[in-house]
Amino acid sequence: MQDTMGIILAESEDVNLRELTEVRSTAALPIGGRYRLIDFILSGLVNSGIINVGVATKYKYLSLMDHLGAGSHWDLQREHYGLFMLPPYANYEKYGGMAGDLDVLMGIMPYLRRSRQKYVVLAEANTVCNITFTEAMRRHKETEADITVIYREEQEEPSRFLMLETEADGRICDLAFRPQYSKSRKAAMDMYIMEKELLIRIIEGAAARGEHSFVMDALVRRQENFRMYGWEFKGYAGRVDSVASYFACNMDILREEVQTALFCGEDPIFTKVKNRVPTRYGDSADLSGCLVADGCVLEGSAENCIFFRGVKLGKHSHLQNCIVMEKTHIDTGCTAENVIFDKECLMREGRRLTGQPNYPIIIRKGAVI
Amino acid sequence: MRETKCVAMILAGGQGSRLGALTKHIAKPAVPFGGKYRIIDFVLSNCTHSGIHTVGVLTQYQPLDLNTYIGSGQPWDLDRSRGGVYILPPYQKMGAGEWYRGTANAIYQNMGFIERFNPRYVLVLSGDHIYKMHYGKMLDMHKSTGAAATIAVIRVPINEASRFGIMSTDAAGRITDFAEKPQKPKNDLASMGVYVFDWQILKKYLILDEGNPQSQNDFGKNVIPQMLAAGEKLQAYNFDGYWKDVGTAKSLWEANMDLVRTPPRFDLYDPDWTIFSRTTAQPPHFTADSARISDSIVTEGCRIYGRVHESVLFRGVTVSRGARVCSSIVFPGASIEADANVENAIIGSGARVRRGADVRPEREGEICVVGDEAVVDAGIRSGTKRAAIGGI
Repeated sequence: MQDTMGIILAESEDVNLRELTEVRSTAALPIGGRYRLIDFILSGLVNSGIINVGVATKYKYLSLMDHLGAGSHWDLQREHYGLFMLPPYANYEKYGGMAGDLDVLMGIMPYLRRSRQKYVVLAEANTVCNITFTEAMRRHKETEADITVIYREEQEEPSRFLMLETEADGRICDLAFRPQYSKSRKAAMDMYIMEKELLIRIIEGAAARGEHSFVMDALVRRQENFRMYGWEFKGYAGRVDSVASYFACNMDILREEVQTALFCGEDPIFTKVKNRVPTRYGDSADLSGCLVADGCVLEGSAENCIFFRGVKLGKHSHLQNCIVMEKTHIDTGCTAENVIFDKECLMREGRRLTGQPNYPIIIRKGAVI
Repeated sequence: MRETKCVAMILAGGQGSRLGALTKHIAKPAVPFGGKYRIIDFVLSNCTHSGIHTVGVLTQYQPLDLNTYIGSGQPWDLDRSRGGVYILPPYQKMGAGEWYRGTANAIYQNMGFIERFNPRYVLVLSGDHIYKMHYGKMLDMHKSTGAAATIAVIRVPINEASRFGIMSTDAAGRITDFAEKPQKPKNDLASMGVYVFDWQILKKYLILDEGNPQSQNDFGKNVIPQMLAAGEKLQAYNFDGYWKDVGTAKSLWEANMDLVRTPPRFDLYDPDWTIFSRTTAQPPHFTADSARISDSIVTEGCRIYGRVHESVLFRGVTVSRGARVCSSIVFPGASIEADANVENAIIGSGARVRRGADVRPEREGEICVVGDEAVVDAGIRSGTKRAAIGGI
């Protein structure tokens, strides 16, 4: 797919991740023990053979830049094309306050024009999945679609997604954003394939009319204008748009079949590699059903937890259904249940925290309990 | 011409024949160590931390893995436009082509490489020792004493002294006597195989040694005694940290066990002296409900369902339900299948210990070695010797 480029929107619209995205963009949200959300879509593009990827950011992109670096961990540190970090370009205030993703795309227009690829995969970085676009691209050309929308059959809550209805051949006959009720179960995954020239026309048209939202203004309102087809992704997909779905997605990754789907196939999920020592288990460590990254020192017990790099778990502490991000220290004799610890937190000796599965407690980055 | 202060030359061509099946396809410095490292990581990381950025790695035996592993030197910050890491295999020359005949000959054959950097000092290192050392301090001492060569020394148990180059010193630390692997050691000061030389002086002795047909062209056996006999000032540099020669399966096993003891005898977790290594993006390791892990080191990509105690597991190791791994080292990608038992063993990369198999040494105090890609079936008792020869 040398004639295709990738655009990743680092900031997803309409998500609420509370304290978790206070200091970082959605794309940089740590997930699954050693990844950040962007790793999944970025690996997907790379595994499809795409070598020109732009990451369009809106704000709080420091941690994202730090994570991606020059792109070497995704094999995107290249002389020709490779990874492009695209910090905000346009003056959003001109458009009156909060800018939408079309404004972000307007800001990266010089990069779009300069790239010589014919097609573009436009995607948000809000989904945990192991996807490649080779098959979808083949289908895109075969159907002569203007836009191909990647979707997945979801069993629950159409009100979370952009829902689409298709005819027998896959052509989209209706698009509705977060409908209360939907006949179909086909939920768009915020990944689109189209010709680059069409994307440029859409962006320019939106700018001329003062429109901001790619989904609402360009797709839903103008669905009659385009020949759109759906392409179904059948693998696991964890959509992160709220604290509850973030928590649920992490708990999904603890399930073995999800790990198999994400990590055991032909296509690896790449991420930033750090020089961390392996994890050390002490004599009193007792973990079950846990995912553990390198660099941890574990002396307590834990059940159904995810440990990021460099976490310390003290003796006689017990964690259950917790997500513990990088370099957080849990002292001795603590208990915690359904808690998301952001990075570099400290839980002092003997403290207790209890959240609920549908309402986990979030401990803000660097907090001391 | 711009002068480089110090060039490091790492001797990494050894076969490590005493490691048996573990070095069948790779050179000793490429042997895995400590969960995610290879032996050569320690000396390369020492160079980086010591501010030595021009490093030659002399390879000869089975170099493919080692060459691939070092690559551009990026994990050690040695991918530089000035200096950096260079792989130096033996090569065909006008008139003759020859292998490296000894440690000194290997340096001799690469004099052209060293000259290119015009260094004041040359640091000669071994690629097969486990230790953390700031070479800068040794270099400082070398300069202040004005010695022709400085040799790092460490005290070893006297009953093991005959395995090493042993030296005697006067009160000021000047070397008065040097004996390579003496039958009856006079002292317990062993050479660590870390030498600092004034390049111009070393060059002289290398050329001299090369002209002597009786010489084995070895630093310990020939060059150092020759310099001593000629009255050159040789200085000893005392090192009192952890240092281990992992030349045998037993010592490799012991050095790994030093990591899992509480507290560990060798600390990998020092934030100021990170050991760098080339790693791949593996998912976090998975500890299943049925797993029980204690006093162990576990790396990313592992899947643990069984019992693991006092062991070191490298990336991508599977320990199935009911399996038991105790006081062992399991190299990358190996799998220990259901109800298998592994005790006091080193399991090679990609090896399979089949369901119900029992891997442990025949005699107390020995180590059982299963070679790379070997398969051990149930019912075969795998003694040290049989396993070491090509795997079972």
